[in-house]
Amino acid sequence: MTDSRRDTSIDLVTTRRSFVKGATVLGMGSLATPFIGRRAFAAPTELTMLAWYGHAEPDMVAEFEEEHNVRFKPKYYTGGDNMMALISQSPPGTYDLILSDAEYVQMLNAAGYIEPLDPDDYSFDDFFPELQHFPGHWFDDQLFSVLTRFGFLGVAYNTKALTEKEASTYRVYWDEKLRGKVGHFDWHLPNLGQMSLLAGNPAPYDIDEAAWEKVQELAMTLRPNVGGFFDYGGTFSSLENGQMLAMAGIGDWITGVLERNGAPVRTVIPEEGGLQFTESFSIGRGTQKADLAKKWIQYITSPRGQVKSALMEAYPCMIPSRKGWELLAEVAPEEARRQGMLAGASNNPIELIRSGRITFRQLPVQQSVEDWNDFWSRYKGA
Amino acid sequence: MSELNRNPLIDWLLRLYVLASFAFIFAPIAASFVFSLNEDRFPSLPLGGFSTQWYEAVATDPLVWEGLSNTLTIGVIVSLVATALGFGAAYTDYRYRFFGKTVYLALALLPPTIPVIILGLAMLAFLSRVGLSGQSLSVIVAHVVMTAPFAMAIIRLRLSQMDPDLEAAAWNLGASEWAAMRHVILPFARPAILAALFITMAVSFDEFAVAWFVSGLNETLPVRVLGFLQGQVSPRINAIGTFVFLTSMTLVILAQLVLMRRPKEGNPDG
Amino acid sequence: MSDQANTVPGPSNMPVAVWGRTRRPAKGFSLYGATFSLPLLVWQLLFFVAPLLFLIALSFWSVRNFRLQPDLDVASWLYVYRSGLFWETYLRTLAMAGFAAMLASALAFPCAYAIAFKLAEASRRWAIFLMVIPFFTSYLVRVYSWQVFLSDHGIINAALGSIGLGPYTMLNTLFGTMIGYLTLTFPLVVLLQLFSLMFVDRTLIEAAHNMGAGRLRAVFAVVIPSARVGLVIAALFCFILTFGDFVSPLYLGGGNPPTLSIMITDTTKSGQQWPRAAVIALTMIATLLATAFAAVGYAYRGRGR
Repeated sequence: MTDSRRDTSIDLVTTRRSFVKGATVLGMGSLATPFIGRRAFAAPTELTMLAWYGHAEPDMVAEFEEEHNVRFKPKYYTGGDNMMALISQSPPGTYDLILSDAEYVQMLNAAGYIEPLDPDDYSFDDFFPELQHFPGHWFDDQLFSVLTRFGFLGVAYNTKALTEKEASTYRVYWDEKLRGKVGHFDWHLPNLGQMSLLAGNPAPYDIDEAAWEKVQELAMTLRPNVGGFFDYGGTFSSLENGQMLAMAGIGDWITGVLERNGAPVRTVIPEEGGLQFTESFSIGRGTQKADLAKKWIQYITSPRGQVKSALMEAYPCMIPSRKGWELLAEVAPEEARRQGMLAGASNNPIELIRSGRITFRQLPVQQSVEDWNDFWSRYKGA
Repeated sequence: MSELNRNPLIDWLLRLYVLASFAFIFAPIAASFVFSLNEDRFPSLPLGGFSTQWYEAVATDPLVWEGLSNTLTIGVIVSLVATALGFGAAYTDYRYRFFGKTVYLALALLPPTIPVIILGLAMLAFLSRVGLSGQSLSVIVAHVVMTAPFAMAIIRLRLSQMDPDLEAAAWNLGASEWAAMRHVILPFARPAILAALFITMAVSFDEFAVAWFVSGLNETLPVRVLGFLQGQVSPRINAIGTFVFLTSMTLVILAQLVLMRRPKEGNPDG
Repeated sequence: MSDQANTVPGPSNMPVAVWGRTRRPAKGFSLYGATFSLPLLVWQLLFFVAPLLFLIALSFWSVRNFRLQPDLDVASWLYVYRSGLFWETYLRTLAMAGFAAMLASALAFPCAYAIAFKLAEASRRWAIFLMVIPFFTSYLVRVYSWQVFLSDHGIINAALGSIGLGPYTMLNTLFGTMIGYLTLTFPLVVLLQLFSLMFVDRTLIEAAHNMGAGRLRAVFAVVIPSARVGLVIAALFCFILTFGDFVSPLYLGGGNPPTLSIMITDTTKSGQQWPRAAVIALTMIATLLATAFAAVGYAYRGRGR
């Protein structure tokens, strides 16, 4: 099976020119019927992608598939830890592309599951300078993963229940009128990061033992107000049906989807500051199609690909490429405005980062992941 | 039945209770059907407008079709193999006493006790070491392991209702063991065998946690549904659910009609 | 082919006094016996024992750099067993599953009883088929649907509100979890009970009535003892399924309070702590196995099999 795949990819390299030509001709027509159009070519190369849901859906990959005679074979995961376990027990090379959050890039790299990358292959120059060297993707000055999307985490709230002003501090979670109505996205890192910010730690994940104790004490006082702990899908529905009026540990990647569908929910970056998460592509160790995988990463970080990333149907994110912003403003000004990806916007994410109100989510520095997770389990059971 | 009808009021209450039970069982299915035809992506009250967009989205998603055909193939094979294995084990338990029977029974009944997430990882770890991971076959192997106990329990229950002298009587009349099996045991166990086929197939249709791990890139429909649910919370899951529901309903009604047309085949229990 | 089956009323509850064991042809190994007993044994040995052994081995592995390393380390066992939170969660899960088994059995019994004794043959067959249908619609999808009924602004509270009651918080509570558990197990429990009840010898019930036993008395003195195997097995399946289920406690219970299955998922979030998850899983397996043997032993006690 792998052999035949390799053959087709060689085949692809030698005749790519004609494919690109053909693709441009077919271009628009086949976009509407991507799965019929694709049959016009012989045996597309299969590229496997391990990702959060949505990254290999037609709205993201159809154009690239067309141009490179590729067919994506996605494997969607529902949690980074299951994703790690899946890789650990699968034959090397099963997954060509791996999309993950920066914390898991760190784990993937430590465990040796991803290939080092050459920064010169990717158009980092198009990126905003603050995002060219995202710490979680480089280890000892070696690049392992390329940033394609990012987002902020703040206070997600129901606009009918709270005003933006009320929601502009993490203290709102303790509000009497939210008793039983505060939810947690069930992962220790974003929630405890927010607690740490509220406790006044400027570097929320790099805190000493005393500060860590304080964060735990502070968190425990919130527990009586908490109505539940939710995974991805549960977070969506409990915010949407009004069961939860405020949600800790999430951001526009969830409320943006709900907002697009008319639900009265929004995320605000509170005065204590917000957290930043990233989504980035790595190339799986042992892949037979590193070249094609590289081409995908180049595509998705190009202005075209960046616009697709910002508009991804499954859930929205912000994009790191300045040129991507420019194209987005032309193609989808509404969404560019909503997410603040315009030069003068008051909610411009790059300005937020520059003003120091955003710190990135990461694994705890002075404690182990276990310490944080153990506390989180105790907190849930309390 | 009629001889037990002592108190019509209680009988009606009981019938009402059966109806209420069905209402409980079908309420979520009915709701899912309604939402599948609702234009809103997130189902809530009051309902939005009528729309078939979710059915279209599902119908044009090649991965759904791929998943569906995987699931059907896997489900049918799993139900046949698991029911055959389960029948053998149930009969063994019914008829024989032997050294190590407890271990045998433990092996036969243990799988459903293992939490699926961890069973998924363990299965993947083992199957990938023997070169069996990431295929439909891997899912079949795992699902047979998981569902055979259900088949065994159902069939064993039925066998325990059989008059133990019956098989012996057949032998005494000169039937061979095989003939007694064919003419006595199998006909008697037939309703349970049918039930086991259905239930094992259904469990396989619905299983996503272990399948997520072992199927690799060869996803089954439930794994795909999990994706919709987790990443999307899209009414597409309701569309798929309704489709599967209507299909199984049709099959059931067909089965009913077939059974009714052959009254001679009726078993004491139906 | 089914003639024999028709002629046999199946007095399943008769004490087995005349037990034709001496006449059975098989002694020692026989091809016939092996044909039925070996396939499952071989299958489980090949495909189940190996993963199970892996699970046991995994519980002794260690985690370095977020990577699982084969090892012989009891640290995970000590860690889990010394954790007060684990035992607390363990007891809670045990209580929840036990309660669910009793609840499902109690709620299912009148339904199974009515289907077995109060419905005509044709409607009974329909009832059985309808009972099988829910198995074919995804449990996950059904649980999600319940949210629309149970939420604060959901269907039930809207209905209650119209008669001036509520609203009641049902979602993200133990009540929600139990609704989910029943969604998972109720049809199966009814079916398993039904399979037993249908074969309770009606002449016995009649005899009880003739002797002047009231309806309830007949149920408790005749029906339940006769159908004991099915009732116990049904409750056992309910216990097993709910003990390990994570869908209902998560989506209807809001993970509030957490159960062991949720704890397993949580454990893996400590940077790949699958060995500890394996310890929890093995403890669950041992618990369920013990319960299963106790229940099966109880169910068949005095039946001579």
